[in-house]
Amino acid sequence: MQKKIIYLRDTDSAQQDRINDFYTLFSNELRDANLQEPVQLVKIADIGLYEKGITVKILPENIVYSGIKNTDVKRIVEETIKGNKIIKELLYEKKSKQMRAVLKNCGYIDPESLEDYIAAGGYKALIKVLLEMKPENVVEELKKSGLRGRGGAGYPTWMKWNFARGMNSPEKYVICNGDEGDPGAYMDRSVLEGDPHSVLEGMIIAGYTIGSSKGYFYIRAEYPLAVERVQKAIDQAVSAGLLGNNILGSNFNFELEIRLGAGAFVCGEETALIASIEGKRGTPHPRPPYPSVKGLWGKPTIINNVETLANIPKLIAGGGAKFASVGTEKSKGTKVFALTGKVKNSGLVEVPMGITLREIIFDIGGGILNNRAIKAVQTGGPSGGVIPQEFLDTPVDYENLSKLGSIMGSGGMIAIDETDCLVDLAKFYLKFCVDESCGKCAPCRLGGYQLLRILEKISEGNGELEDLNKLKKISYAMQKASLCGLGQSASNPVFSTIRYFEDEYKKHIVEKKCQAGKCKALIYFKIHPQKCKKCGLCMKNCPSSAILGSREAGYVIDPQKCIKCGVCFDVCKFKAVMKE
Amino acid sequence: MKKLTKEDIMNVDPLKKDLGKSWIKVGMSTCGVAAGADEVYSTLIEESKKRNIEIDIRKCGCQGACSVEPLVEVNVEGLPKVLYGRVTKDVAITILERHVRNKKLLHDYIFEIN
Repeated sequence: MQKKIIYLRDTDSAQQDRINDFYTLFSNELRDANLQEPVQLVKIADIGLYEKGITVKILPENIVYSGIKNTDVKRIVEETIKGNKIIKELLYEKKSKQMRAVLKNCGYIDPESLEDYIAAGGYKALIKVLLEMKPENVVEELKKSGLRGRGGAGYPTWMKWNFARGMNSPEKYVICNGDEGDPGAYMDRSVLEGDPHSVLEGMIIAGYTIGSSKGYFYIRAEYPLAVERVQKAIDQAVSAGLLGNNILGSNFNFELEIRLGAGAFVCGEETALIASIEGKRGTPHPRPPYPSVKGLWGKPTIINNVETLANIPKLIAGGGAKFASVGTEKSKGTKVFALTGKVKNSGLVEVPMGITLREIIFDIGGGILNNRAIKAVQTGGPSGGVIPQEFLDTPVDYENLSKLGSIMGSGGMIAIDETDCLVDLAKFYLKFCVDESCGKCAPCRLGGYQLLRILEKISEGNGELEDLNKLKKISYAMQKASLCGLGQSASNPVFSTIRYFEDEYKKHIVEKKCQAGKCKALIYFKIHPQKCKKCGLCMKNCPSSAILGSREAGYVIDPQKCIKCGVCFDVCKFKAVMKE
Repeated sequence: MKKLTKEDIMNVDPLKKDLGKSWIKVGMSTCGVAAGADEVYSTLIEESKKRNIEIDIRKCGCQGACSVEPLVEVNVEGLPKVLYGRVTKDVAITILERHVRNKKLLHDYIFEIN
């Protein structure tokens, strides 16, 4: 008989012992059928399904059965393992919600090997472009594909390239923006570390299209491994003749150089980034003129995000129409998200545009940690906003997210559950933007600081209802009057949290309560005398000796001494410590 | 290195990517390294030599399952391609002995995510 493998997994999170019973059941059945030798039974750690009961996957046929009962085990062994018959009523037709295009090579090829990249189909697009296509054909393909910038704003890539192509200048530049600074976002790092040659290929194609012979990788210095691998990739490409003069026998010349970002968030903004490469202080300046007209050293320049450039080779190789077959009407292709926060499987996911937030969080991410209720999803980092759970079924694309008051951003996606406080969240992002504001323009420098002060006042229990109006007013002024994207969008987290969670703000202001228990000034801890088993664990662990009492008399918390660290709440095994 | 030509790129053998029929790939991006992939990688190299297990051990980028790094992917002839997560030094040695040598999969460390 052919060798088979059975993967076994309990996809319900609550019942941990059940899987061992099923393991025994299966191994007994296999023993009775005398199939122990050819069939391997393996308990695995994740099967890619969640809350679908006991699930097995049978290899090599790839049959997935879910919701299995004790009584089904015998049938599965008899019919499917022995008789090669599929049991229809148990079958789970699993479709992968992910679609890997940009991340296709990440984790599959050796990022430090040019051979590997070529074996995976790399640099074929470059050959097609250099030997068969004119620059205008490349722009035409991009236009057909509908590719939009993956850095956040979603500007159509073909327009950017076409502007720069049309400029009459002997010198033009291509810049790859790898200054990924959003808290919780690391898609670009993974692409640069896992598949650097794909970005290189995208840049060479960009150079050919706009008529440039020099490109820069702008990578933040906090990504040393990415810098090392990109440098290695550049060296390999130079020695293989993929960079330099007369690339692949054509008369096109192109060279690449890395420039390091010194850790300023604002340098991800294109005009500040250009200033930084020129050796000046990284501050933005007003647009227009746009970089595609007057950019680096005053010459036409295109700046593209890492993910945008990594999309180019596959787009050219497969053709624009094929690229456009995935996605929604105005947002084409796939998008990589860094899924983090209170989600079970945090990590990088790549999904076609138009998938719903619910599918991303629950089907790919596996749902919320500890089976708590989801409250909202934050997208777009400090420039984005929150999307409350009632909009989880919205298809993800540029337009829908901005309609909801958030942005696609570079692709950070943070799941927020009921234990997170939205005022605290807004404060966190604002603090980030205040720290990172370059200080050049007043709306961002002063407005951000004032917003932060009001939020601090609210979270300390000193808020007034009038503050909500002030928050809205200042936010509006910042959006309208700031010089660059950082200031214009810094108030987005405040705006969108007030828009959807005004009640929560009001609770902080009127009732002086923080439901999630995050704002320390508004919570206090209490020991429930009936539930307390007088074990004394809380007293032992209290760092500020705020718990008084004895094993006979029971324990109380001294509110004067309590520093509200929550240790007693966490260590109590009887849930006798209450947070109010 | 000699300069590549159009033919070199167009006629490359895609199977070359999976050098040999048996290989182990260790995810060595920042996320993997931070979780201890460096140690896993060197353990695999050392122990496979010590135990006379012949297998091609390579580095690769991040597969995306960051919550269960370090990730080790194993392909051994006759068995399906398997992704192990939360691999420690000890698990790495077990992979060599149990999976590569004895062709038995490990319990509780396989992640079938995609």
